[in-house]
Amino acid sequence: MNPSLKLFLAVIIALEVTFTTHLYTNVVIIALALIYLLVHHVNGRHLVMLLLITAIPALAIFATIAFFSPQRNVYFAWVLVTRIYVYVTAGSAVSLTTTPLLLVRSLEQDCHLPSKFAYGILAALNLLPKIRQEVKIIRIAGQMRGVNLHWWSPTLYFKAILAASQWADSLAQAMESHGFREGAPRTAAQAIAITRRDWLLFGGGLVFLQVIIVALP
Amino acid sequence: MHKRSFHLRDIILLALIGIIFGVIYYAASFVYNGLTLLLTPIGYGPMANDITMGIWCMAGPLAGFMFRLPGSSFLGEFLGAAVEMFLGDQWGASNLISGAVQGVATELGFTVTLYRLYNWLTVLTVSLSTTLITFGWDWFRNGYSHFAGHMLIVMFVVRFLSIFFFSGVLNKLIINMLNRAHVIKE
Repeated sequence: MNPSLKLFLAVIIALEVTFTTHLYTNVVIIALALIYLLVHHVNGRHLVMLLLITAIPALAIFATIAFFSPQRNVYFAWVLVTRIYVYVTAGSAVSLTTTPLLLVRSLEQDCHLPSKFAYGILAALNLLPKIRQEVKIIRIAGQMRGVNLHWWSPTLYFKAILAASQWADSLAQAMESHGFREGAPRTAAQAIAITRRDWLLFGGGLVFLQVIIVALP
Repeated sequence: MHKRSFHLRDIILLALIGIIFGVIYYAASFVYNGLTLLLTPIGYGPMANDITMGIWCMAGPLAGFMFRLPGSSFLGEFLGAAVEMFLGDQWGASNLISGAVQGVATELGFTVTLYRLYNWLTVLTVSLSTTLITFGWDWFRNGYSHFAGHMLIVMFVVRFLSIFFFSGVLNKLIINMLNRAHVIKE
């Protein structure tokens, strides 16, 4: 399925589920999302970790509604638990089956995302290892002077932002000197079109979503 | 001199700031899980979300103070959420929704000052708008209508304090340092 349409479908599902309280609808969505993830050979251990980490906030909300709220509505507690899992499974069905490059390319070509956003975000994402390294260096440099920089120290953020500001300057200059121009027409290295099949899957998914919201309790 | 729109360099910087916060929070994510497990037996499990809310909303106000442009706070918060999605955290694409809600929430705090004030009063308006809107969103998302009234009041106050300290005071301290280093043009 086209990455952009897949993203929109997941966001619409998450929004609709937020404002409805149908337990079985949520269960069906979770099952379908899990099947989708398994069909796409997502790393099993990664998936189990996701579901386990999510159990912590799910348990908290369940206990609060089922044991500590005035009405102690166990059905509603399950609705909220499954809702959290809908967010996680539907959200991962997009992010775990699509690379950032493909999704951004699709958003640029199919949804008219301005190229400065598309390539600005991609350029920044590629700096992730460098940022991790820089944060480590700042911390170690502090420790050498006997200063322990915690995650709540303004100095830690300040120094990291200083480095980021320089990188942003250099990256933007490098891209522009290689011929990148904001808003200029571009050719695509990899053309991503929205086919009729994509539209059918997207439309079918939306209709199916409304049907199960109305039909299931 | 104010620039009228965002250029490539600004967008890269906003995304980088999102990643920086993501990298630093990652070290702090045990706080959220630990607090949730500690508070659940006394019925206050969801309050871990309120205690840490200010941390998740830091990128937006910081961008708002740095760029001083309409939309910068929204963009900072939303790009931060998009980056988190790409880095593969558990919420995936659902991140974009909370990113958009938090983005609007922080942006409104700057809008009410008509983008003219960037002082401690702004810290207060941003904290207020962020608290109100994120709380309103969680009202639906986490089913607050079923919670006990006194608990909601405690959670609201805790959320305001968290947002005020992390998205407000901590951000302002960072901004003051950036100001002194002349990274931000007045």
